[in-house]
Amino acid sequence: MLFGKKKTHYQHLREKLVKHHQGLHKRLWKKHGESLKWLKESSKQLVVGSAATLMLLNPATALTPAPQHNLMAVKQLADEIPDKSAFVILDLRSVLPSEIRPLIPGEEQVISEILSRDFGIKVSAELEGKKLNRSYGLIGAEQHLARFPGDNMSVHFDTPEEARLYTSSGMAPGLGGWGYFTTNGEFTEKDKLKEKYYIAVPTFLAPGFSDNPHEIINFFKHRKMLVVNPENGKAVVTVVGDAGPAEWTGKHLGGSPEVMSYLNREDGSKKGPVLYFFIDDPENKVPLGPIESYNKNA
Amino acid sequence: MKKHFYSHIVDSVSINIELNQMQLSIDEKNHLIQIIDSNIHLSVVDTVLSELAKEDKKTFLKHLSEDNHEKIWQLLKEKTENIENKIKKSTGELKQQIIKEMKELKKKK
Repeated sequence: MLFGKKKTHYQHLREKLVKHHQGLHKRLWKKHGESLKWLKESSKQLVVGSAATLMLLNPATALTPAPQHNLMAVKQLADEIPDKSAFVILDLRSVLPSEIRPLIPGEEQVISEILSRDFGIKVSAELEGKKLNRSYGLIGAEQHLARFPGDNMSVHFDTPEEARLYTSSGMAPGLGGWGYFTTNGEFTEKDKLKEKYYIAVPTFLAPGFSDNPHEIINFFKHRKMLVVNPENGKAVVTVVGDAGPAEWTGKHLGGSPEVMSYLNREDGSKKGPVLYFFIDDPENKVPLGPIESYNKNA
Repeated sequence: MKKHFYSHIVDSVSINIELNQMQLSIDEKNHLIQIIDSNIHLSVVDTVLSELAKEDKKTFLKHLSEDNHEKIWQLLKEKTENIENKIKKSTGELKQQIIKEMKELKKKK
C-alpha cells in the first residue's frame, strides 16, 4: 500500500519502530550507562556474547543502518580484539535471520555495511544495477575447472600438498561458464587464482536475465564477490567462474574445492550458509583468496 | 523467535494479529517482528535494571549474556518485588503504543 509517492506499510512502520528503538536504547544507556559500560568491557574478554547482550550494546542491530558515530565506536572496539573473525561473527549474529532465506533490502544494506567495515573493502548486494536472486544461501562443493586446453589433475596443482588436499575433488567434465581461464590465450598467475577461488552462481536466476541475458552473462563473467561463512567469520575473495547450481540441488551457489576448504563448509547434508556480496573494485586492486591478511592490517 | 528469560510472560499475539492485517510480505513481517522483539527486550531490561542495586545489575547482565534464565530468575526473585507484573506493565504499554501506530497506518489507506 502506497502513501504519498513511495512509502509502504512496511517502510512507515519500520521507520516508527526504529525511532522507538533508538529512544529506548538512549534511555537505557542514560539510566544504566555505568552497568552497561561494565558489560561492554567484559564482553571483550567473552569475545562472543549472546544476542540478548548484543541488543543492549549495539544499537546497529538488524533494525537499520547504524549511525556513523555508532559505527566508529564498534570499529574502535574491533581494533582492540585480536581475532577479528570473532567480531565478524558477533556482528552478523545480530542481523542475520534465524532461517536461511533471501535477505530483504534493509538487511542486505546493514550486512553490506558490516562486511565493508569489518573487511575494509566495499561490498554490496547490488552493483551497476545488477544483483543475484539472493545474497545469503547454502553453498555446495564444485569440482576443479579446466583452466587451459590440456589441463588435468596431474598438472593442476603447484605443490604436492595441494594435490594431496584437492585431487579427490576431481575436474568437471565440461568447461566453466565462460570457458578456459586464460587471458588472450595466455595462462597467467591471475588466471590461476581465478580458478582456484571461483564460485558458481545462478546467473540465470538473476533479475532481468530473461530480458537481457547477454548483458547479465557479461556482467557476471569473473565478477569479484566476497563470500563469508557467518558461523566462523572466514571470508574469501572469489570470482564468478561458472553458472549454477540448478535449483533442484537445494544449493544456492557452489564453491571451488579451495573455497570450500577455507570456509570450512561441507557438501551434502552438511552444506551450510554463506553470505555472498559483490566487491566494488573498479581498479581491480582487491586480491583474490582468503581475506585473513587484510584483518591484520585493517 | 528466540526464547528470552521473559518469554513466558510477554507475548506478541496482539501485535501479530495487527501485523497480519497489514499489507506485508512474509519477509517484511518477519523483519518488523525482529525489530519489535528488540524493542521489547530493551524495555524489559530497562525495567529490570531499574529495580536492582549497582552490583546486582552486573550480576543480572552477566547472567543475561550467558542466557542463563534460571540464574536470572533466581536473582530477580531474591532482589526484586513483583518484577513479573512490572515487566508485563512496561511491555504492555509499549505494545499498546505500537498497536496504536499500526491502526493509524491502516486508516491512512
